[in-house]
Amino acid sequence: MTEKNLTLKIKRQDTPGAAAYWQTFEVPHRPFANIISCLMEIQKSPTTGDGKKVCPVTWDSNCLEEVCGSCTMVINGRVRQACTALVDNLEKPITLEPMSKFPVIRDLQVNRERMFENLKKVKAWVDIDGSHDIGEGPIMTDQDRAKRYVMSECMTCGCCLEACPQFTLDNAFLGAATFNQVRLFNLHPTGEMKKEDRLNAVMGEGGIADCGNAQVCVEVCPKNIPLTESIADIGRQTTWQAIKNIFTK
Amino acid sequence: MMNRKKKIVVIGGGLAGLALAMKFCERNGEVTVVSYQSLKRSHSVCAQGGINAAIDAKNEGDTPEKHFYDTIKGGDFLAHQPLVRDMCYQAPAIIHLMDRMGVAFNRTGEGHLDFRRFGGTLYNRTAFAGATTGQQLVYALDEQVRRHVHDGSAKTLEWHEYLGAVLDSEGICRGAVIHDLRTDEIYTLQADAVVLATGGPGQVYARSTNSVVNTGAAATTAYLQGAKYANGEFIQIHPTAIPGQDKLRLMSESARGEGGRIWVPRDANDKRNPKKIPESERYYFLEERYPLFKNLVPRDVASREIYDIVYNQNLGVSGDPMVYLDLTHKSREFLDNRLGGIMDIYTKFTGVDPRETPMKIFPAVHYSMGGLWTDYGPDNDGLIDHGSPRNQMTSIQGLFAAGEADYQYHGANRLGANSLLSCIYTGLMMARGIMNYTDSLEKSVEDIPSTVFDDTRAHWQNRFNDIKKMDGTENPHKLHHELGDIMLANVLIVRDNKSLDKAVHEINDIETRFKDVKCLDTNDWANPSPSFINQLYCMIHLSKIITKGALMRDEFRGSHYKPDFDLHQPKDFDPHEYIDYLEQKQYGEVSQEKFPADHLTYMKRFEENNEKWLKTTVAQYKDNQPEITYEEVNTSLVTPRPRKYD
Amino acid sequence: MAKPSKDEIHYLLLKLHSLTGIVPIGAFLVVHLCVNSLRTVGVWPYQLSIDAINNLPFLLVIEITFIYIPLLFHSVMGFYVIHHAKTNVHRYRYPRNGLYTLQRLSGAVVFVFLIYHLGTTVAPKLWEGKHYFEAAPFLIDILNGEFQTWQGLLVYTIGIVSATFHFSNGLWGFCVSWGILIGENAQRNGAIVFAAIGLALTVLGMATVAEFNMNPIPVEATVAR
Repeated sequence: MTEKNLTLKIKRQDTPGAAAYWQTFEVPHRPFANIISCLMEIQKSPTTGDGKKVCPVTWDSNCLEEVCGSCTMVINGRVRQACTALVDNLEKPITLEPMSKFPVIRDLQVNRERMFENLKKVKAWVDIDGSHDIGEGPIMTDQDRAKRYVMSECMTCGCCLEACPQFTLDNAFLGAATFNQVRLFNLHPTGEMKKEDRLNAVMGEGGIADCGNAQVCVEVCPKNIPLTESIADIGRQTTWQAIKNIFTK
Repeated sequence: MMNRKKKIVVIGGGLAGLALAMKFCERNGEVTVVSYQSLKRSHSVCAQGGINAAIDAKNEGDTPEKHFYDTIKGGDFLAHQPLVRDMCYQAPAIIHLMDRMGVAFNRTGEGHLDFRRFGGTLYNRTAFAGATTGQQLVYALDEQVRRHVHDGSAKTLEWHEYLGAVLDSEGICRGAVIHDLRTDEIYTLQADAVVLATGGPGQVYARSTNSVVNTGAAATTAYLQGAKYANGEFIQIHPTAIPGQDKLRLMSESARGEGGRIWVPRDANDKRNPKKIPESERYYFLEERYPLFKNLVPRDVASREIYDIVYNQNLGVSGDPMVYLDLTHKSREFLDNRLGGIMDIYTKFTGVDPRETPMKIFPAVHYSMGGLWTDYGPDNDGLIDHGSPRNQMTSIQGLFAAGEADYQYHGANRLGANSLLSCIYTGLMMARGIMNYTDSLEKSVEDIPSTVFDDTRAHWQNRFNDIKKMDGTENPHKLHHELGDIMLANVLIVRDNKSLDKAVHEINDIETRFKDVKCLDTNDWANPSPSFINQLYCMIHLSKIITKGALMRDEFRGSHYKPDFDLHQPKDFDPHEYIDYLEQKQYGEVSQEKFPADHLTYMKRFEENNEKWLKTTVAQYKDNQPEITYEEVNTSLVTPRPRKYD
Repeated sequence: MAKPSKDEIHYLLLKLHSLTGIVPIGAFLVVHLCVNSLRTVGVWPYQLSIDAINNLPFLLVIEITFIYIPLLFHSVMGFYVIHHAKTNVHRYRYPRNGLYTLQRLSGAVVFVFLIYHLGTTVAPKLWEGKHYFEAAPFLIDILNGEFQTWQGLLVYTIGIVSATFHFSNGLWGFCVSWGILIGENAQRNGAIVFAAIGLALTVLGMATVAEFNMNPIPVEATVAR
């Protein structure tokens, strides 16, 4: 059986400072193939469409089932996870680019350190006394749990930030993912104890007030997290916090 | 005595590694977590269905002791019993701890933890957070470790690969060799102890439910450095996965725990839309064959039955190797609330909505019960002395293993929702032992001559330089897939010595061809090619351990099914007969009248088989091959007996 | 209250930007459009309203405090916000993303329009010293001329539509930023309500323009000096 070929145009970059360039690859088109399986094909035969032998394209991926958040890239101009990007559903030829709002490491790999640093800034954790056995956790309604659960599915993939018109390579904007974490932990009975710290952390430059409500974040979030609700809720919480700061500090 | 803080290097940022890092920081130790990629992305996030703990929230009379028994029985009695018992007794505290950390476990109407059923047990024992429990647990531990990083007690080295242990002249592990995956630098870290929490080896099969980092390379390197590798042949094949090219995506056992039913059309030629096939023409083969456990038989059993339906009965859906996993009788709301994560995965990768149409699934390589041989320190109550420095230590002093990378908790077959438990349990449990171990050392790491570190570093630097010079004709990724094909074809659900022997030879061929590999990329920045070649080398050795272990083990136990050595349990056999039989034997002669003749023959053969094979397989690296020996299993608490689930 | 930090100032400035858009600027816009729409009822009531305003004591102080300073502040902050936006609506074509871009665009347009509008009305009024009852005939005369050319009509149409859009969409943004509209449904329903308000204001403004265009009636001062 002869297989139809699929053309992939890939934006490559050898080192962080280097100039980017495009290369075209042909891979066999198989049913249910996704972008990762195409990139794996390139590894098996790293030759461009015009017959030039090149280094295989590098990319990040791990779980291949959209729970780890590794394989975010810009596919046909739109940011998404490469593992769930089935080639049958994509316009051809397919273009692959690294995310533009994070520093490129190499080819399709970018450095998302900033997102993880932001988690530290907003203390995105529950301050437990220790991991020793001190009995049950706090009682919580299943409705509150469900609300927290959808938010806690955030896999720090960066889609919401790449698509955000306020988030740029060099500004300080924290972005939807971080605001969502603030809401997630402020909703937990124990996490709530550090609520003020978290709110004050998002009330500075690059904080919640910088959000322009373009709401692209919620459209591109692969986990369907209600990010705009989180943003508005943090808007409310910070508004009260600001009033409190003005009158009680 | 050391005046400084005790420092350990933890390799791996999954559940086991993070749990240990957190605990060690709390004990005022200093931890460096080395991770192949950013934390939060480890394979533990793929765990879906839940985590077991016998909290008995539904008043069914569940107890940790029953959890212990189910686990031991599920593992066909190959696991060391005090460890498993200790784990099961710690489980409720672990769930409460994770709950306190903010894991969004599903809850009951009163706001307590909710539990569901899972395979291999009759109790609602599995706590869960939707169908992404692993992800939620990893995040919670990751958050705690991030907090310790924020406070300065932990350090993370992300995008770093572990290459090997630094062993001093006495063979004691004094640190780790680390490869920066971005700058390509190779250097050593000094440590009082090194812990491998590096997960499983699914990539040896190329296509499995595992993530791409699960090459088993770190554990194999330890083996190549002299550590024992145990029970390698016990590879769990998960009964339900979505077939795919790059990966076989897991379809959690919780789908069945929440009422999912497995069936095929009774008529192999039935091409109708599954929803149009009436009940009477559906063959719910697990329910018919196992009326007690039904769809929730342990995974080894379910996988074998699906294999039988597809290949022996030729009843696969539309003639393809697939069966239906049906949840369409459940409401959309129910499915979204309790199984949302896996419903989405199926829809995204197949384009079919499992809430409307039965899923098509097939077994896939999922988990390695085997792993690095590790020690344990039992106490006098049939539990574990948590302060024992022996806990989780490999046969290399100072090198520890935890999580899927070790071998101790699941015997010959793991029960669903026990892996998350064993990962967190080992991580938490071992911290105190490591502290005590470092106290017991005569020489501190500072007293070790720097040449030990320099030489080890030089060894690995040379190794990578040599790899970069490899300029043969073989593509390493193609070779990897060929290796995977060999393993999938010969070392899977149904095993026979002819195929296994063939596989041994084919793997040797792959090893020969490996010498002719081409390093596709020789750059010294963010270059994954040399690392992959090194991992492939490890995978070849690991495949030898698995295959040789399987070839030599002439019996049927748990996931290791060799039909030629099946003892053929009589249909009407009751495992309690075996206990009577042993008792009678102990007090004199076995009465011939008490047991049917075929039962007696079966029991005798079962006993003989256990005497010979109820042993841990231990592989050690010798002359480029695994040398296999066998060790006693600790069965001090429950008498091994035949398994039965119908 | 402790001395605010740089971050606190940043937050307060942006909040103030958002707030000034509603009060007083937005409120003024509504009043301004409503009062002007008296022109559609007849030139007499319209003139009376101008008279009333121009006879307010300390009019200039009131205007500077409640209109010009907030407007200037809102504009400066607005350009700061525009400066930090990297619009990407060409890639991510979602309605809300389009509105995000239009909000910034309309803000800039209104700013330019206001320079023109003030430059051709208030500025000459002050320059020529037309106060109290003299203001109305002077201003009405200017406007009568303005709306007779297509250029004038175009400028005012763009100006009014931009202003009403910027206000009504800004009202929505305010409600989201301050956490008044949180849920998805609340945000959607809010958007519908604000769109209706925006539309009503636009109709009001354009009706006034049309009236000016069709009936350019000159007036005498209500009370001679």
